[in-house]
Amino acid sequence: MIEHITSALQRPNFIAFVILFLWGLFIMVSHPNLIKKLIGLYLVQTSIIFLLVTFSAKKDATVPILQGDDSLVSAVNEIDPNEYANPLPHVLTLTAIVVQVATLGVSLALVAAIYRTYDSLDENEILEKLK
Amino acid sequence: MMDQLPVVIFLIPFVTAICVPMIGYRNRDWCGPIALLATIAMSVAAIVNLYVVLANGESRYAFGGWSISTSLPAFPLGIEWVNDPLASVMLVTLSGLSCICILYGTTDLPRSLGSRVVLYYTLVLILISALAGIVLAGDIFNVFVFLEVVALCAYALIGVSGGKALVAAFRYLILGTLGSSFYLLGVVFFYAATGTLNMGDLAQQLIEKPELMTSKAIIGGSTFLFLGLGIKMALFPLHGWLPGAYARAPSAVTPLLASLMTKIALYAWVRIMFWVLGAGAEIGHVHLLTLLGMLGTIATVAGAIIALAQDNLKRMFAYGGISHIGLILIGVSQENGVGLAGSLFYMINDAVMQASAFIIAGAAISLHDAQNVNELSRLRRSPWLVGSLIILAMSMIGVPPTGGFFGKWQIILSALQAANYVEVAAIIVATVLTMAYFLKIFSGIFGDGHRKAEQQPNESKIGLRICLAVTSAAMVVLGLCADPMSRFFRATATSVGL
Repeated sequence: MIEHITSALQRPNFIAFVILFLWGLFIMVSHPNLIKKLIGLYLVQTSIIFLLVTFSAKKDATVPILQGDDSLVSAVNEIDPNEYANPLPHVLTLTAIVVQVATLGVSLALVAAIYRTYDSLDENEILEKLK
Repeated sequence: MMDQLPVVIFLIPFVTAICVPMIGYRNRDWCGPIALLATIAMSVAAIVNLYVVLANGESRYAFGGWSISTSLPAFPLGIEWVNDPLASVMLVTLSGLSCICILYGTTDLPRSLGSRVVLYYTLVLILISALAGIVLAGDIFNVFVFLEVVALCAYALIGVSGGKALVAAFRYLILGTLGSSFYLLGVVFFYAATGTLNMGDLAQQLIEKPELMTSKAIIGGSTFLFLGLGIKMALFPLHGWLPGAYARAPSAVTPLLASLMTKIALYAWVRIMFWVLGAGAEIGHVHLLTLLGMLGTIATVAGAIIALAQDNLKRMFAYGGISHIGLILIGVSQENGVGLAGSLFYMINDAVMQASAFIIAGAAISLHDAQNVNELSRLRRSPWLVGSLIILAMSMIGVPPTGGFFGKWQIILSALQAANYVEVAAIIVATVLTMAYFLKIFSGIFGDGHRKAEQQPNESKIGLRICLAVTSAAMVVLGLCADPMSRFFRATATSVGL
């Protein structure tokens, strides 16, 4: 048990991810206000991006550009991958952020339309008016 | 030219979606025909693609020429699309059904939309192209992006006419985005464990390093992937968004969403399950497919029971669809070739059935203002609607000349083969319940309901008649072609080792 805790404490980023993720879920489930639900959703999405960034971080790594001999295939044996940062997780992060922004845009537009129609942002009040 | 076909199929609706607003704001009436032409062109391309794939076998499309190197340790450098027999059949189904749904959409768009008609066609076309993207994607992150594009279009389409649909769209947005977040988390776990996103490469690594299959990252990753796709495919306990969204969305939108969206999510799951994880995947010590079978059993019975309790026709069909998702999952989870082939065949049938069901429900509202079962006696004036409803009922219950029977029959056979008698019983119970709710519908139509003064028979439009005729014919033709199609899907199942 104790070694589990100490091994977890060595990775504070992962704990931060779990806290952010569960916090976001909690806000989404517990708050009746639509905007607050969106904030919870945003937290969930951000926490996943945070996880992606976390495990792709590498100490003392440089840009993955080979200098000098540009023939990748012939030089493959002399390259130490640990010296280079992996660009793919960052690309994934960018794509995920774009998707997240688009979702947020659509959801805010929907909330605005709901507010114009029902004159309220409280889920319970809106459900009352729906009946 | 022929090796560019997968991308051409994707680009036809996508490019048209960009052109529609440019033309549409000059003349709104042109949008419908242009969108229809685009989907017809897409169908033709998809059929040609099917011929090419059947003749030449599976092909892989590498974007930008960044192909997977064959020398060295195979290392995927770029994004690739997989154009195999299953994907090409799904593409034909997808493009054909989107043709029908757009044709129906042109006849039944709410007049209140005004200039938003242009946006409706744009969104529908983007939705169709993104669905084609999910079918073709050979990369789990690509699937995520396309899932999100589909979902964003769907949120906007459900809420497009305002009113009560807005709340349903918002609920779907919250749950759907949560589903895609779960899916993304699963992708992140897979990437952290294996360092690759390519489905073929993932499968290769999981075979080469069997200890990966029991690692926490892969177990957690597959759980999250399944949770995410479970929300998208409206698996029973995760189905909360579906009935409200389908019942309140404009009638022109529902057939498209109902027939294609959940089925494509299910297809994505089948891809990941059998093409990446392999049929023997386990979560902890529980066989993943056994778990899936149990969920499917619950879903198929519960969906049918709730459908029987509904009065609203659209809600009834929506819960019927949830029941069918469970049925397909039962077939998938039997871990034998008959089951997988039967489910894939039933999936295509179900897409046609759902399109037909929601076209009928939508036409009943727009022609006769009949939303609930007790108002259905007004349908007696339109023989086209009642006729296609009868064929739909035969297919949904499973009466022999229709495709629904053969799919269900194979799923039952596979469950018997695997000696899962509880699941056989569940399918039979669900069938009886399906019969019961169709009995409810038909007693609403032919029973001694309140008879209104006979009005002038409503003129049903030619587009609607074509939609009804084609979907009904498709259900029968699928039944007649059940034998070759089953053999085809059996070959697919053999290719993944079942």
